[in-house]
Parts: sequence; structure tokens; C-alpha cells
Amino acid sequence: MPTSIDWAAVRAAASFRLAIPRTPMGGRVGARLGANTGSSLEFQDYRPYTPGDDLRHVDWAAYARSEMLAVRLYREEVAPRVDLVVDISRSMVVTEQKLRAYGELLGVLACACASTVADARIITTSAVPPQPLHVPEDIERFLACDAALSALEEVHLPFRRRSLRVVVSDFLFPHDADVLVSRFARDSAMLSIVQLTLREEAEPEAEGGRKLVDVEGRGELDLVIDEAAIRDYRARFSRLRLGLSSAARRTGARFAHVVAGAPARDVARALAAAGVLEPA
Amino acid sequence: MMFATPLGLLALLAIPAIVAIHLFRRRFPVRSVAGLFLWHIARQTPEGGGKIARLPITTSLVLECLAALALALILAGARLSSAGVSPHLVVLLDDSASMAAVNARGESARDRAVRRVLEEVDRLGNRARVTLVESGERPSVLVGPAALAADVRPGLDAWQPEALHHSLALGLRLARELAGPTGRLMVMSDVTPGPPGEPGVLWASVGEPLANVGITAAERTITPAEGRGAVALTLGNHSDSPARRRVSVSAGDKLVVTRELDVPPGVSSVAFPLPAGLPPVRVALAGDALARDNEVILAEPRPRVVAVENRLPDGRGRQALLKALGALAGVTSAESGHLVFGEAGELDRPSPPGVWRVGFGRAPSAWLAQGEAQDLIGPFVLEKRHPMLVGMTLGGVVWPGAIPLAAGSVHPLVSAGDQVLVGMPAASGGTQTEPTILVNLDLDRTNLIRSPDWPILISNLIEMRRQSLAGPERWNYRVGEWIRVRLARDPKSPLRLRCGAVERALPAGRELEFIAPSPGGLLQILEGPGDDAVLFELGVNFLDESETNLRGLSTADVGGFGDVAGLRAESGPESDPLFWLLLAIGGTAILVNWCVFTPRRR
Repeated sequence: MPTSIDWAAVRAAASFRLAIPRTPMGGRVGARLGANTGSSLEFQDYRPYTPGDDLRHVDWAAYARSEMLAVRLYREEVAPRVDLVVDISRSMVVTEQKLRAYGELLGVLACACASTVADARIITTSAVPPQPLHVPEDIERFLACDAALSALEEVHLPFRRRSLRVVVSDFLFPHDADVLVSRFARDSAMLSIVQLTLREEAEPEAEGGRKLVDVEGRGELDLVIDEAAIRDYRARFSRLRLGLSSAARRTGARFAHVVAGAPARDVARALAAAGVLEPA
Repeated sequence: MMFATPLGLLALLAIPAIVAIHLFRRRFPVRSVAGLFLWHIARQTPEGGGKIARLPITTSLVLECLAALALALILAGARLSSAGVSPHLVVLLDDSASMAAVNARGESARDRAVRRVLEEVDRLGNRARVTLVESGERPSVLVGPAALAADVRPGLDAWQPEALHHSLALGLRLARELAGPTGRLMVMSDVTPGPPGEPGVLWASVGEPLANVGITAAERTITPAEGRGAVALTLGNHSDSPARRRVSVSAGDKLVVTRELDVPPGVSSVAFPLPAGLPPVRVALAGDALARDNEVILAEPRPRVVAVENRLPDGRGRQALLKALGALAGVTSAESGHLVFGEAGELDRPSPPGVWRVGFGRAPSAWLAQGEAQDLIGPFVLEKRHPMLVGMTLGGVVWPGAIPLAAGSVHPLVSAGDQVLVGMPAASGGTQTEPTILVNLDLDRTNLIRSPDWPILISNLIEMRRQSLAGPERWNYRVGEWIRVRLARDPKSPLRLRCGAVERALPAGRELEFIAPSPGGLLQILEGPGDDAVLFELGVNFLDESETNLRGLSTADVGGFGDVAGLRAESGPESDPLFWLLLAIGGTAILVNWCVFTPRRR
């Protein structure tokens, strides 16, 4: 399904970057201030002098005032590692609208990665090595979405230690949310889960008899979609979303649910509200 | 296209059923979804019950209909055109000996019948199935049933008609059963059927009127007292003029008698004296149209002489018995005989083995009842089935001295009211092993001895005893007659008979009974496996005046074949390429429909 991201709209909303966790994180020394003490010029705190400290960091003015040796501490500067997990299964492009929304969402996240000055990589499946994300436009290469299965169902994905992990999918496949989220969060600096669904996937309406065909080949079903069926469906969908949300909360991850069709600016704000992004 | 089991076409009803299923099946608009599993909790919607809409001609529908059509045709036994259907010809061959009579050219009706049958088989082609039935008193299948055309000629070559005159009705019934509704029926005979013929049957007569002289009866006798024997022949000349024939009598390789005879038209007799003691002789008439009736084998009879002991007291009765015995042949007087005539009072004593006793007068006291002797004039009730009383009437007989007998002591054969006059004592305690006959009669006062019933009674008694003596009942038989032989002792080894090419085992026992086998000749009864232990040699001959008369034979075709469908080959459906084609089509349709159009579910 051919696609083209409206980069103008995306960039207009790209005043965000990936949120950095307070906890220690992996990565080389870089331009982003980390949560730990380091060697940047930004003052962070004092602490009592101990033998062996660099005398250049002793605050002599403070010694003059208090006759106590204290050492100035500065914040570290890091270049965070970002692993962006992109679901390329056919369910992500089940409709044109979902494909377009998926493109814009990934564009927003790619721009955020660029703003983060991070070492970002795209993970689609364990069978293919992660691809570096140099510029936001690189994300367009991953919108073909023709896989029969979501990479998220694979047991092992090539995550890096202490990386910032952003997982984007509709999560519309049978799963155990706790197991899934725990697997993503293991040994990560921070995990962000972004669920993208169509409005009719989240809140379907009665439309009579339909032959439902799973785009990933998981079967067919002749069904009269009436109020009772919708009630059942919504309950199950809510349990699925709440399961993901709860599992994310338990592991300290961020969770955002994005409904396809919203403008890119609103999407970015929703992600920021969920703690996935932060103003640049 | 033909169908072996047309009822199988009912399976075609599956096609409208499939169409109906497709027609009424719910067909919802297709909607692609990402998470079908979220809908599975909703109740399933039945696939049927939808509104009638235009039938979608889908590939699945076409494949399902194709498979149903192919399987229905397989069930119905569809065959390509007439493949597998063979014409079935059933021929009843008249096995009477007259079929072997040859004309001046040396050709017999049998030869013409063989030729006609082969022509008919050739006309039907190699696919034809043929059944040959041989007529006779016991019709049999000569070739088949439904044999291949190639098997007909060997069967016909082996066919040699030699049976006695018989009706073709039994053979025709068997042939009709074998032909069934699919076979063509043909009769090959030398006579034409009486009007109106046989419906649905081609009756081909291939006979030819011929002059013939044959032996229609033969007897060999012996007069032991004079030490000489004789052969008496009855000859039939079935022509319009006298025929000169040479008759020869030979015993083994030795020619005993030969004579030129002028046999007049019709039936005539001739006799030849023979010395006594000759082994079985062969009497041969010079050759003519039918060889079967030109030769007989005659064994010398060895009469079974009954030894009679007359213990009757002097008087009218004794004299009457002597007079009656004197008129019978094969009877001799002896001190210890096979048959003892005496007074009835001795009948309660045990008799020696092999001795029958006939007692006249007052029965033993143990058999008597209260009462005085009576003189009776009838009416007399006779057990007419008993061989002793055959031919007796007791008309005008006065029966004096009939003493009342105890009930159950004697089994009555002749009685007057409740008075037993002649009877056989009931066996008591198993001691009575030989037959005993009580004649409750005062011989000196009765007029029975002057009546015609007296010699009949004595003759019947003698013959009864003779029949129970060891040896054959007769020494010369016609083919098909029952032969009865009583042995003097139990056989020590298995018994068998040999008559020409016929040889078979006989049931063990002292009394042998079997049918004189065809084609006849010298019949030997042997004991044990070797050829030395010959117990008896008997003559079995073809003596049939009806077959000897060849003047009524004719040539004609009567009737015709019925309109029949032909015999379906017994080979299975795999012999027809259409079966495999239908199987391939049906199987492929099912497989493709299953593999391609069945929804995959994980």
C-alpha cells in the first residue's frame, strides 16, 4: 500500500523529544544532560570533599565562608540509545486511514528521536538486524507492513542494554500483557508503549452481518455485528488496553493510546501527556 | 454411456443439494479486521437461513458439483458405450445317442451341431460368452457357465453323445436358468420340437433320417443241469428292407460264434447257444449308422438257488408244497436249507443262522390266546405291500383252523376281523434274528392248496429268500438301471466299481446299490486296491429302441433368439477407462476444494 508521510504536518508538531528517565541510562557521552553527575558545565550539587577529589572542583569561596571543603558536582552529558520497535504486520495497514495515522505517528517519533540526539535504531523483527535511524525520513522505509506476524510476538528482539525503548503497535493479537511488557522492559532504561488503533477498532458500531477476515490470516468469521456483539467486543478490547496500561504501570513504563485520525500535533501532545515525549 | 447400477444415479440429487446450500448460505460483506480474536467471544452466527439471492457461480460450487457428478456416475457404474457387455449364448446339446449316427458320408448330427455352434460363436465375436449344457436325465454344464469363446471348441471336441432316449425338458429348464434374461438360448438336437415350439429359443435340428439295425434287448441264460447256456437277442431293423448283418459272439479274444443274419424290417429275435462257464461275452453286430446299439456285453448269470427243507408232516399239505416247489426254477431240496417249511409249533425255538422258517398250523402255546379254532371264509385283509403277498387275493378260500393269537405276539400280514391268519412273530428279547412266518391254517382241511394263491404264495416266499442270498440281483443291466448286489460277508477292503473309463468307490457295506454307469460295458466290482480281487463281473449295455430308430430324425430351424441385452462382463469397473477418469475428476475436485477453499484456522 503506497504511503507518503505528510512531513510538513509532522514537522510542525515536532517540537518534542523523547523523555529521558531519571534513572541511570546507557550510552556514550553526548549532548544530552543525564540524570547522573558528570562532566558538563551545568552545576548540580555540592558534596563534602574526600581525599582524592579533583582540587579544581573544590569551591574555595564556600570554604572561605564556611571553613569546610566542599566539591562542586556537575551533571553528566549523555547520548541516549533509542530502540524503536515498529510493528510491520498487516494489521497496521488494515485501512488507508490506519496506514496514514501509523505513518504520522512514526514520523512524530522519528522526529523526536532526532531531537533527542540519540543513537536510534529501528527494530522490526529478530530476523533482520536493527536499522539505524539517521534522519526522520528513514522511517518511511518501514511502512510496507506486509508481515504475517507482529514482531512483538517474537520472544527475543535485539534490544540494547539500558536503551530507551519505544514500542509502537496496535497490540491486536492474542497476548498476555504482563509477560509482553515485562519482556520489553527487561534491562531497559525506559520503556514507552504506544498503541495505535482505528476508532472503529476501539469503538465499533452495529453494522449488521459481516464476514470478518483477519488480515493476518488468523481466520474468518461470519458475524452479525449487533449491540450484543459490540458490547462483548468493547469489553474485551477494554480489557486488552487496560491490561497493557496496567502492565506498563507496574513496570514503570509509559503507555499511550493513539486513535487514528487525530492531527499529528494532537498525537504529539498525547504522547507528551503520557510521558513518552517531552518538550524539546 | 451405459450404467451397471442405474439406481446409483440417485446420487445426482447431491448436486441440487449443493446448489441449495450455496443458494441459501449467508453471504455477508467482507470486512478486514486486525484482531479477529476479539470477536470470537461473540455468539457464532449460523451459516444458513439467509434470504434467497442470485446464485454466485463460485469455483467452490463448480468443484463441489463436479465431484458430486463424478462420484454419482461411479456409483451408477457408468461405462463407455457397450464396453463390458458381451453377448451370451446358451446352447443345449442333445446328448442322446442318435446324435452320433453317421450318414453315408461319415458325418453325424453331432458333427453338424458342432459346426453350427461354432458358426454362431464366430458370428457373435470374441467378446461372446458361451454356456454349453448337455441334456440327459441329469443335465449338466459342459462348458461354462458364460465361458469365453475360446473355450468352446475344446468342450465341443470332448462332447460325445451317448445317452439313452430322454426328454430335453430338464436340460431346457437348466439352460433357461443359465441364460436368464440376458442370454440367447439355442437347442441343438436331431429332432424338431412339437408345435408350437419353445418361445425365445432357436431350436436347430440337424438330424437326418437313416436306416439302422440295432440290438434292442439281450439276455444270457444258463441251464446248469444241462451245462449249456445261450444268448438271446432282440434286433430292430428300422428300414423298409431286410438287412444282412454279421453277428459275432466273442469271449475275451476268442471268437465263440459268428453268423450272417437276414434281419427283416421291424423287430426280430435270434438266439445263439453258448457253452456254460464262459466269461462275459461280447456280442457285436456289423457296423451301420449307429454304432452305439451294435454291441452288448453279457455276463453269465449264476442263479441263486434256494435250498428248501420240507418238514411238513405227510398229508395234503406236504404234497401241495412239493408240487408248488417243483414248478419253480432255482429251487433245490436240502436237509439244511435256506427256507424251512414245518409245523408252527416249533417256531418259538431259535433258528440256525441263515434259515428262514415258515410254520403251518397251531402256533406255539406262548403266542396263543383264549378261544377255540375257527374256520373262516373271509373277508380277508391282506398287507398287499408285503412281497410275500404280492398277487394274492384269497378269493374263495376257506381258512380252517385259525386259532386265536395273543395280542401283540404276531405282526399280522393277513387277517380276518381281529383274527391273525398270517403274520410274523414280533421279535422278543432280540433272540429272533432270521425271518419267521406263521401261517395260522390247518393245511389238511383248507382249499388254499388248490387255489391259484398257493403257488403264488410259495413263489413269493422263494423269491423273498432268493433276494436275500448273496450275489447280484441280476447279471446284465441297461445303462441307468439300479444295480443291487448283496455280499456274503462284510468287505475287508474298500470297494470300487470299474466300467470302461468309469471307476469310482462304492460305499462300504454288504448291500450295494448304484446306477449302471454310462456308456456301459463290462462292470467289475472290486475289493481292495488291486485288480485281482474282482468280486463280480456284470454286463451294462445300451439297449434303447427309441434311439435305435433313426427314421424320425429331421433338419430344420424352429423359432429364433429372444431379444436380450447381453451379458455384462463380470470384470470390475476398473476395466473401464471412464471409471478412472471419473475417479480422477472427483478426487481432484475434492482435493482442490479442500486445500484451496477451506478456511485456515490456527
